[in-house]
Order: sequence, then structure tokens, then C-alpha cells
Amino acid sequence: MPLIIETENLSRVFKSYKKPKGLLNSLKGFFSRQYESKIALAPTTLNIEGGQVIGLVGANGAGKTTLIKLLSGLISPSTGTSKVLGFNPNDRKNEYLKKISVLLGQKNQLWWDIAPVDSYDLLGKIYDIEAKEVDRRVEELAEIFSCTDQLQTQLRRLSLGERMKMEIIGALLHRPEVLFLDEPTIGLDIVAQNVIRNFIEQYMARYKPTIILTSHYMDDISRLSDRLLLISEGKIVYDGNVDEFTLRAETKQKLMIVLGSPTQEAMEFSGIGAISVGQKLIDLSVPAKGLGEVISRIAKFNVIQEIRIEESGFEEVIHEFLAKNVRHGKVGRGLTV
Amino acid sequence: MSFWRKMYGTAKLAVVSQFEYRINLFVDAVIQPLIGSLIEMAMWYAIFSSLGQLTLAGYTRDYYLVYALWASFFSRISANWMYEFRMIDEIESGKINGLLLRPISFYEYYLGQYLGYKSLTGVFSFLIPISVCLVVSSPVQLIRLPLAVSLLFYYVIFIHTVSFCIASLGFFFNKIHSVTIAKNISIWLLSGEIFPLDLVPDPYKKILLWLPFSSGVFVPTGYLTGRLQVSDVVLGFKSVSLGLCVSGLVAAIVWRQGRRVYSGTGA
Repeated sequence: MPLIIETENLSRVFKSYKKPKGLLNSLKGFFSRQYESKIALAPTTLNIEGGQVIGLVGANGAGKTTLIKLLSGLISPSTGTSKVLGFNPNDRKNEYLKKISVLLGQKNQLWWDIAPVDSYDLLGKIYDIEAKEVDRRVEELAEIFSCTDQLQTQLRRLSLGERMKMEIIGALLHRPEVLFLDEPTIGLDIVAQNVIRNFIEQYMARYKPTIILTSHYMDDISRLSDRLLLISEGKIVYDGNVDEFTLRAETKQKLMIVLGSPTQEAMEFSGIGAISVGQKLIDLSVPAKGLGEVISRIAKFNVIQEIRIEESGFEEVIHEFLAKNVRHGKVGRGLTV
Repeated sequence: MSFWRKMYGTAKLAVVSQFEYRINLFVDAVIQPLIGSLIEMAMWYAIFSSLGQLTLAGYTRDYYLVYALWASFFSRISANWMYEFRMIDEIESGKINGLLLRPISFYEYYLGQYLGYKSLTGVFSFLIPISVCLVVSSPVQLIRLPLAVSLLFYYVIFIHTVSFCIASLGFFFNKIHSVTIAKNISIWLLSGEIFPLDLVPDPYKKILLWLPFSSGVFVPTGYLTGRLQVSDVVLGFKSVSLGLCVSGLVAAIVWRQGRRVYSGTGA
């Protein structure tokens, strides 16, 4: 697969004004201000092949959105270079902008005061698509989403989930080759999240664009991504596939054992990854590789009423990974300069 | 072709959006300029009553009354503070991100909307002074209206460019609404909205006529109401052209520098 996205030491530093508390400091700040520089993205070198879904994960303020903004040409880099589809995003050439699409989950990009059909009509003119072709593509996408009935309703009158469907149709109308999806399912209920995920899967299978996906819902990432980039304090700290990541993070299994009658022997588990241990209920969090030993010990109880085994959530896995690597000094800290 | 399609699309967006809010459109296009006209006409009526003379600077009261009637409508159409505020807000809040990611410039997007909106309000607004002039005898020469309106719309492009410069300052300073208000107050005087600029003594009058701002109200209104001639309109086109070159250059510099420091707020 050809390289679609290439970056070389791409970084961005933001400057922000620091104002200490109080009226006097406001007055001082009127005449002279102190600025602080913060590295939002440390120099990053990255290669991404076409036709992949890249899951970009990390905590709030880790640098995910900054990377998307840089790659889409929304902001200029402080250092380094990038190429997307052979273009320098920072040049913001129309030929480039016609080949990408950015969906910012927390922002409306369609027009609030008019119906989506009118917005799509305008988008058709902006992207230079024939009116009939616009209608055909809208119909096709709306059918997949089952939202044909809402196309003529003013955007402001639609629910959040309906609006997100309309935004996605708007983002895909010009068939982008690279699609940046920043939190596409944020704030949606589980049913709506699933609808969006299914849609992305179907769209991916049909048109094979390259997708850069950020999400706080790890189901989005684990279900859709071919490759995972974990970003922390402006640095990419993991680059690989989701399964390998889970292995490296030493995932833990949650075990809940309910005993039929109280037994003093249950207290033996107090030292083995115990979340809480009582005479009738044992709640443990055990590394996957130690699971066999724990189960064989539990099997000795002849008063077991119920055993529940639960895999850690992906978010917890990331948390564990970062905690472990920070502890071992593998993840950069103190990036403020 | 692509440019004109985009302009048509954004102009249509402005018209479609305005039709969603009928009362707002009606008040903006009809009531507001009508109130402005009535206030100015009352003022000139009071001035002539207290002067006790039939002419002022060589023109009778009727000339001043029709000037007041038309000036308010020309002024409403050339005013763009509403779009300027929207541009500033988009940069300040980060809503501009949605536009920066599309193959249309911020300048084109708002110019198309501004022209579309002003064409729509122009059709509604001008019906009032035209009707008055058809019913009441006045010095107005309606045959001059097409040329006067052409200059007005050329001026609209210039004033949009000035607004674009001011809005682009938002990349550096965020809140700059007070600059828009200061500019508007200056334009009230410089455009001839408050009083006809030929009342100003020379050489200030010549300077004001050479500035492009007079082409927003004084030149088209003066030409329509018989105070000015074709040569003055031609001068208006020249001064607006010069203003467009200067403001366009400043806009390009401010925009480019602004984009460099922009942090993509709110995305």
C-alpha cells in the first residue's frame, strides 16, 4: 500500500497568557503579559499507508486533535514537515481540501438555520459536484443511515444523533480519500454509537478511504481500527495493532466469586489483586497470565454459587499501559518548556 | 466557473437562511431604514423651519428631504457590521474551522453571503423610496437608479474587504468588536449618511469625495437626487477601485499572518 500520510519531526507549540489571581494582576497584565509555551505535539515522525483505519487514542489534551489539525491544514506546524496525499497540508490548496474531510464531533459543520438538503446543495457547489450527483450520493448515504425523512428538517430541530448522521453525510459527500473523524460518537447513546460504527464499517468496505479516528469510546477504536497510535503528553508512545497493545499492557481480568455460605478461607485472597474480599464475596483483578492459578485455588471451595469473569475495558487498558510505562520512565513527562 | 458556482451557492445560502426568519428580514429590510429615514427627514424639516430660509448651500428643503429618504436605504444596504460581527465570532469561537477545511476561502464565503443578503434586502428596501418618489413630486431622477445601485454594490465588495481585514485581527486579539463599532461610527460621517458631504467646506469636501467611503451613501444618493453628476460617479468607481487594492493588500497580509498564529480554537 502506498504511503498516504508522512510526517517528519512535526510539532506544534502553543503560547498562552498566564494571569495570576486578582485585580492588581489584571491591571499589570493590561500593560505587560507573561506567556507560557506548551508543547501540544512533540516532534513526530509518522508514516501511514492508504486504506487503513488508524485509531488515535489518549487522554484529554494529549495531542490527538492537534495532530489532526496539523494533518488537515487547520493550523501551521511549529517545526517539521508533513505530506498528505502528496500535498503539504499547510498550503491549504483546494485540490487537497477536495480530497480530505474532517468531522469534528463536537462542532456543527452544516448550517444550523437551514435543512440538510440545502446544506448539501451548497457543499455540492463548494466541491464542484454536479447537482444530480449530489442528490444521488445523498440518497445513497441517507438510505444506509435510514434518515431520508429528516433531510428536509431544519438542522437545529434535529436530535444530536440525527444531526451527527447528517454531519457524516456532509463529510462524505465529496468521497474523500482521507477522512479525519474526531470523536464521531461523542455524546451519543449506545444505539446511535452502534449505528455510526456500522455505517463507518460499511463505508470503509465500499470506498476504502484512509481514516484517522479519535474517540473516547474504546469500542470505536477496538472495533474499527487496523492500527493504534497512543499519544500521551504530545508524544506517540505506542504504535501497533490493538491486540498487541492489549498484550503489552498486561491486561487484567476481573473475577467476582459469590460463595453459597461464608467461609474464613476466602480471606486468603486478600493479597492476590483483591478489589474487595469478604466471607461471601471475592472481587479480584488478576493479570491474564495469573488467571489459571487463581481459578485452581478457587476450585477447592465447594460452596461456590457463581463466578463472573470480565475483561478490562479498553480505557482501563490504556490507563494501565500509561501508568506502567510512566513508572518505568518510558513515557516523556514534563513537556512544558 | 467554480468561483461563480461558489458565489451563487453562498448567496443562495444567505437568502434561504433569511427566509427562515421572516420577521427579522422584514424589520431589517423595511422597518429599520424607514425609521432612519423618518428621523433624518424630521431633522432636516426642523432645520429649515428654524432657519427661516428657502435654501441651504444652494439646495431647497425638498433636496434635503429626498436625500434623507434615500440615504438611509443606501446606508442600510451598504452596512455590513452584522456580517463583520459574525466573521469575528467565527474566528474567536473556532467555528471558522469548518470553513477552513473546505475548498472555499473565508473571504469568498462571506462575500457571496453578503451580496446575496444585500440583493434580497435591496429588492424589499428600495420599493419604499421608489413608491414615495412615484407618488410625490421630488427632484429624484429614477432613471439614474441603475448606475447608483451599481456603484453601491461595487462599494459593498470594498467594505466587505475592509471587514475581512478587521475580522482577521481576531486571530491575534480575539475580541475586537469595539474596532467594528469605531469603524461604523467613522463611516456614518465619511459616507455622508448623517448629512450630505457637499455641506463640508473645501478642501475637506474634496478629500472626502476622494475617499471610497463616500461611494456608499453620498455619491449614489447625491447622483440619484440631482446633487451630483455622472463624473462624480466615475470618480466614485475610481476611488473604490483604489480602496479595493489597498484593503485587499492589507487583508492578504493580515490573514496570512493570522493563520500562522491560529491555534484552531475549540476543535
